[in-house]
Amino acid sequence: MEDEAFTDISGKAISLDCHSHSGFCREFTVSSPKVSVGKVMVYTCCVWLLAYTVFFFTQNTAVLSSAILITLVGMMFHIHFVKVDHESLLVIGSLGIQVSSCYASGRETTTFIEMSKIKDIVINEAIYMHQIIYYLCVLLKDPAEPKAVSSVVPLFQSSKPRLNCLVKVYKSCQEILSKC
Amino acid sequence: MSPATTRHPNTSEPHVSTVKHLIMVENSPSPLPERAIYGFVLYLASQFGFFLYCLWAFVPEEWLHLIGLTYWPQKYWALAVPIYLLVALTISLVILFGVNMNNTAPLDSVDNITDMYAQAQGTNSCHKGGIPRIKDVSISEVNKMFYLSPQAIKSRN
Repeated sequence: MEDEAFTDISGKAISLDCHSHSGFCREFTVSSPKVSVGKVMVYTCCVWLLAYTVFFFTQNTAVLSSAILITLVGMMFHIHFVKVDHESLLVIGSLGIQVSSCYASGRETTTFIEMSKIKDIVINEAIYMHQIIYYLCVLLKDPAEPKAVSSVVPLFQSSKPRLNCLVKVYKSCQEILSKC
Repeated sequence: MSPATTRHPNTSEPHVSTVKHLIMVENSPSPLPERAIYGFVLYLASQFGFFLYCLWAFVPEEWLHLIGLTYWPQKYWALAVPIYLLVALTISLVILFGVNMNNTAPLDSVDNITDMYAQAQGTNSCHKGGIPRIKDVSISEVNKMFYLSPQAIKSRN
């Protein structure tokens, strides 16, 4: 179990947890910081103050109730669909890899990729918006054509860790992938 | 005794009477006297064109009708055209940036890893001791060299 101070591409602190279940099975979990209460309160206060000033000028109570509704629905949507709590990568030698992301509301999405489809797990650099970032990705191959890369699955998309974290995960994955 | 001249067997003309001059034309952006003249003529012409434009914009319509110039655009366009041009320039700057960002390959695209030229390259045998042909190195090998090799570990510590 290792837990060092890593950051994501914008500087926010994240944590990496490497767990070795057995000789050929390892799990890596990247956790993002939780939703901070202060930020939630600041956003809510801003939205409600704005709604109150609009009500002050228009004297329409529908503005107030719609602001409350929008805040509640927006928060629920954000927690359930947008805010990722932790993402994990489970590598099982000669079987496959499992990628799962767990959202703040408890919802979990999982994808399993079998080993015959996996060509390699590599760290690639690409242009993302206005910068160039390192990201870990799984290269998939068509079993009929083992030399060509058919598609790319990027990992840890919501937390986007920096290179030091990715190198650790990469080295550990390559140990397992080279054995099978 | 003149030395024997070796004639190329494919030469068609038996005796070259005209001397051909080969002039090397160098395209360089350095200043030349002709370019200075062109520049000055363009400067004078543009200043004169601006003076004519101001003349058309400020002289009232009746005076232009008196001279006989009746079929000219409305005075509205004297203001509208420059404003249109400036706004179009600003918006095109923003749109250029947006189109660039739109055309960037997303992180899950194969174009970030390889393309059809890299996949089409074959393993050509090079001559012994010769310089090998330039080739694209696959991403797996690059990664091994950067992050797994003992030199990488040494350089990181």
